[in-house]
Amino acid sequence: MNIYDRGSSLFWLFFSFFVFIESLHLGIGTLRNPGMGFLAFGASGLLGILSLILLLQAIFKKAEIHIQPIFAGILWKRVIFILVALLIYSQALPLGGYLITTFFLMGSLFWIVEQRKIGWSLILSFLTTLITYFVFSKWLNCQFPDGLLGF
Amino acid sequence: MGIFDSLIYGFRVVLDPSNLLSCGVGVLVGTLVGVLPGIGPIGAIALLLPATFKATPTSSIIMLAGIYYGAMYGGSTTSILVNIPGETASVVTCLDGYQMARQGRAGPALGIAAWGSFIAGTLSVGGLMIFANPLAEAALRFGPPEYFALMCTGLIILTYLTQGSMLKALMMGLVGLIIGNAGLDIFTSLPRFTFGITELEDGIGIIPLAMGLFGISEVLINIEQTLKKDIFQTHVRHLWPSLKDWADSKWAIVRGTILGFFLGVLPGGGGVLASFVSYGVEKKVSRHPEKFGKGAIEGVAGPETANNAATGGNLIPLLSLGIPLNPTMALLFSALIVHGIQPGPLFIKSNPEVFWGLVASMYLGNALLLLLNLPLIGIWVQVLKVPYRILFPLILLLCVIGVYSVNNSTFDLVLMILFGVVGYLMRKFAYESAPLILALVLGPMLEKALRQSLLMSKGSFMIFISRPISGVTLGIAFLLLLSNVLPFIKKHRQAYRKFEA
Repeated sequence: MNIYDRGSSLFWLFFSFFVFIESLHLGIGTLRNPGMGFLAFGASGLLGILSLILLLQAIFKKAEIHIQPIFAGILWKRVIFILVALLIYSQALPLGGYLITTFFLMGSLFWIVEQRKIGWSLILSFLTTLITYFVFSKWLNCQFPDGLLGF
Repeated sequence: MGIFDSLIYGFRVVLDPSNLLSCGVGVLVGTLVGVLPGIGPIGAIALLLPATFKATPTSSIIMLAGIYYGAMYGGSTTSILVNIPGETASVVTCLDGYQMARQGRAGPALGIAAWGSFIAGTLSVGGLMIFANPLAEAALRFGPPEYFALMCTGLIILTYLTQGSMLKALMMGLVGLIIGNAGLDIFTSLPRFTFGITELEDGIGIIPLAMGLFGISEVLINIEQTLKKDIFQTHVRHLWPSLKDWADSKWAIVRGTILGFFLGVLPGGGGVLASFVSYGVEKKVSRHPEKFGKGAIEGVAGPETANNAATGGNLIPLLSLGIPLNPTMALLFSALIVHGIQPGPLFIKSNPEVFWGLVASMYLGNALLLLLNLPLIGIWVQVLKVPYRILFPLILLLCVIGVYSVNNSTFDLVLMILFGVVGYLMRKFAYESAPLILALVLGPMLEKALRQSLLMSKGSFMIFISRPISGVTLGIAFLLLLSNVLPFIKKHRQAYRKFEA
């Protein structure tokens, strides 16, 4: 984990530095009258120190002989596909409405694992869209967008 | 009104059809969540929180609490049958539960887990009834320094108990405090860390954060590899444990109940800690410690009892002090706030219907869970056979619906996806999410208590040490930190001496 800890601790170090500067801009006030950047100032300062300790630990610790690559053997296409599908869904939902956008989202999610069974994916996505619509919108009164087509 | 009259009043509340339905749905969903590996009680509560907005506060809290203690029951099923813990508090049940199943004793293992859970769950509600009110009265004397000390200690204990590096857990707690700082300042109402984004002025919601860190990241971790799931094929028979099983388990159940309840009350404590401590104790006091890990029934009875006993204990600081001391309680806290109810010292007096309704529902819910987990065990075994390729799109859709319906905001969906990626990377780099979530919820309260304390003391930090409760509480937190740092310093000093020699 050493090599990965070096990278992650550097990330948190930069993050804490950014928050530290921002909190100074917000104003930390005085101990008698703390300002609105006071807590963030303290928390980011501590985070910076801890990140530095983690970085030093990672640098000075004996190197691991067998480092298991944490991103090896990952089906990246699936992970990225899911994230992109969700992102598109979040933007398309107000335009397309719940029924249409959810049908496409579910269809693509069912399809990504078993790419040969398109018909099966479409039936499953149709059923889940309809059932969740009735349960959440009609029964539990959650408000979903109608979209440009009005449904 | 005495405790007995109040309890009768609570039963009258819970027997209202809508509350009864909420209790049933809560324990059913809880069991389902417990049985299905991947989505724990935190994710499920976050998921169903928006669905309770239209319900009364009593119905909502009855249902959400039902999910929590229901998950503790259901978690044992997968641990015993598949060797995969349904939720974290059942990890330790795998050790002996699965071995019992392999020896053809899945029935008694499931039976003793359900009975132990029932006994502990019921007794811990009794403890909640007895201890919550006196603690609430004592808490009326607490000021901002005491609250600050309690919250700090809760966070530090949670980081101390994490399975991985305490340093990383502390870092995540601080990140949670920083993220919780985004939004309008509690004293001046001026925006901070919003970067001109209007939606951030209300702060970063716990629902998108919890769904991202727990729901989305869990799906991404599971989906990144070829989906395979081995189901242990077994016939579940003889669910009623034999007299010998009862004799072997009775003291484990008693010890698990007491340990679990008191560990649940502690800041940072919960089902996970309770089950691990109980397993350790059972192994230590056993005349045959060598049997542990090879199918000892005490190794199932103790932890399963303890994690259910912790549920009643967990609710005490939340309802009497208004401080959630673990991430699940943080979500219940948010649920109460959404319904306009402020947990704290005045909660029981101001909302007797909610408190006593919840207490009575827990008695009823525990009995319902016994029915759900014993005669209906076959259904849960079938649920385990649902392939993940069908399950994961449903989990994602429920996450999306849960997050969207809080504010009808697509911005929240984007936040959830963002935190999903963050959670995925955190898992990869061995950072834990629990301290981050708890710190996010405690952040605004902690800041308020800190700034009020400093205003009271005219800038002196001595206020935290000179007051007995806050002094002792912070002292405990300091000792815990020290206990983690000292071995590290000692080791390096020895290495330095060797180098000098």
